[in-house]
Amino acid sequence: MEQYIGTTERWLLTPVVLMFLALIIYFLLRKIGWKVRAATGFALISPWLIGFIIFTAFPLIYSLYLSFTNYSLFGTPKWIGLKNYIYIFTSDYEFWPSVRLTLLYAVFTVPIGVIGSLLIAMLLNNRIKGIGVFRTIYYLPAVMPDVAVALIWRWLFNSQSGLINYALSPFLKLFHIGKIDWFGDPKYVLWAFIIMSVWGIFGTNTVVFLAGLQGVPRSLYEVADLDGASPWIKFWNITIPQISPVILLQVVMGIISALQIFTVAMFVRPTTGAGIFMNQLIYNRGFTQLHMGQASAIAWVLFLIILAFTLLVFKSTPAWVHYEGEIKR
Amino acid sequence: MVDILHGYRQSNRIRNVTKKIILYVILSAIAIVILMPFFWMLSTALKSNADIFAWPPDFFPKPALWGNFVKAWHAMPFNIYLINSIFIVVLGMVAEITSETLVAYGFARFKFPGRDLIFFILLSTMMLPFHVTLIPTYLIWQKLGLVGQFDPLVIRAWTAWGPFYIFLLRQFLMGIPVELDEAAEIDGATPLQTFVHVILPQIKPALLAICIFAFRGYWNDFLGPVLYLNDMNKYTMTLGMYFFMGGVNEQPSWNYLMAMSIVIALPMLILFFIAQRYFIEGITFTGLKE
Repeated sequence: MEQYIGTTERWLLTPVVLMFLALIIYFLLRKIGWKVRAATGFALISPWLIGFIIFTAFPLIYSLYLSFTNYSLFGTPKWIGLKNYIYIFTSDYEFWPSVRLTLLYAVFTVPIGVIGSLLIAMLLNNRIKGIGVFRTIYYLPAVMPDVAVALIWRWLFNSQSGLINYALSPFLKLFHIGKIDWFGDPKYVLWAFIIMSVWGIFGTNTVVFLAGLQGVPRSLYEVADLDGASPWIKFWNITIPQISPVILLQVVMGIISALQIFTVAMFVRPTTGAGIFMNQLIYNRGFTQLHMGQASAIAWVLFLIILAFTLLVFKSTPAWVHYEGEIKR
Repeated sequence: MVDILHGYRQSNRIRNVTKKIILYVILSAIAIVILMPFFWMLSTALKSNADIFAWPPDFFPKPALWGNFVKAWHAMPFNIYLINSIFIVVLGMVAEITSETLVAYGFARFKFPGRDLIFFILLSTMMLPFHVTLIPTYLIWQKLGLVGQFDPLVIRAWTAWGPFYIFLLRQFLMGIPVELDEAAEIDGATPLQTFVHVILPQIKPALLAICIFAFRGYWNDFLGPVLYLNDMNKYTMTLGMYFFMGGVNEQPSWNYLMAMSIVIALPMLILFFIAQRYFIEGITFTGLKE
């Protein structure tokens, strides 16, 4: 019982402290001449600002600092310059394979996910009887917890008696291949994860695309019909430009989440030899082997990769993203 | 003439019917692919230990061992894990939703210097991988002596740590006419009163959607518990599952594991069927207003 009480007390105290801080901020701002509404607004967002400074801004800078140190959680960090980076780039046998696996995973799953869920959304956008049932079914994978998803697939891919090897067995016999060890063999690990992600991706993205498709004005299609446009032309000249902002959002969110795959991978646990993702490597380095410096360096490499990809996508938007009316902000 | 028209209509109808049939076939085929893992999960959960590795696989285990659910539940102290999970979910959700609503209200309804810049920073934190801030955050909690307690999992929720939800709520708030606030203010309401009596009732759908997402977030969280909880008595359902899986080289008891996977998915599935509308609305909303 006492394990709950202590936390509950501190949990109750926190908003009181935050409110107190907000009040102090409010009066300070009033003192320097801010209007009532301005000071109120700033006081209202102050909890986020405080959380941001303590738990995001400071840790971000501190982890950059740690990446230049040797630190094992005990004692004090020792400055070693670029040694962590040099080590992971040149002599770390786990680093490059994890970068490769993570990048390939994103490169395959993001386009498959975006294109696939768009096609599915177009199927579901038909007004036919029973479509509601199909929509519910298609959304189910998105409701499943990562843990359950990972375990189901680990079992489906099981080399001894998994359903997938069973379904493939005629082909395997044909080519004289033994049962595939999906999560144990570096050759297949990537494909297993990609197949898994395709299943999980149906839900959320499809729903978003569906809403996007329903937001396209019908009049555009009617005008095109009068001109005798083929479905193909309508797709490329009306549907795609109209939903391009939704596609942009999906691509960006897809990249960010694909590069950060963690929980599912931890529960699937491909044997280390078969390859692990960058986030798993960060976790292992930091909290299993206690090389906090190296872990921070890998985390920063991941951060820069995500940043580079996202900026690249945003840079490309003028070429293909179409905003109705004016360019927003 | 009439005959020709009739024939044309008929061929048109036939074409429409064929199109529909093809559509149904494709939709059903994909539905089967989606449902197959669910079916296999249930089928495995009901098998005996000997039956799991049967080759060719057995689709309909006879007899169906529903008792596996009870056995799996008692294989580990899941009673305690469930209480811990509920504790974290409740504390986290209350703190997160309260603080995020207030912060979103501040961003949506008040003008102050630097507001747009701060909001832009808030949005860009979505791009920040969680693992970059992980180690220093851990060190902060360690300094406070709270590693091993539930605190790191729930206290931070008070600081509105879900930028996506703030964004969603702000968008929703901006869709509500300002005139309503102003009318309340002319009547002498304080900003807080306006918030409670005018704003809150109107953003209920958005709040419900966020409740569902937040519930999912805390219920499924794995990284937090695996980092901060080291005492068996404090494990959550998700973390309990991780240890229930066994070591890397052990072959887990797949029937029990599948049974527990169903159990751990159950709250979300039930919530989904009850509140499907809010689920879909929430997702739709986040996806559309860029």
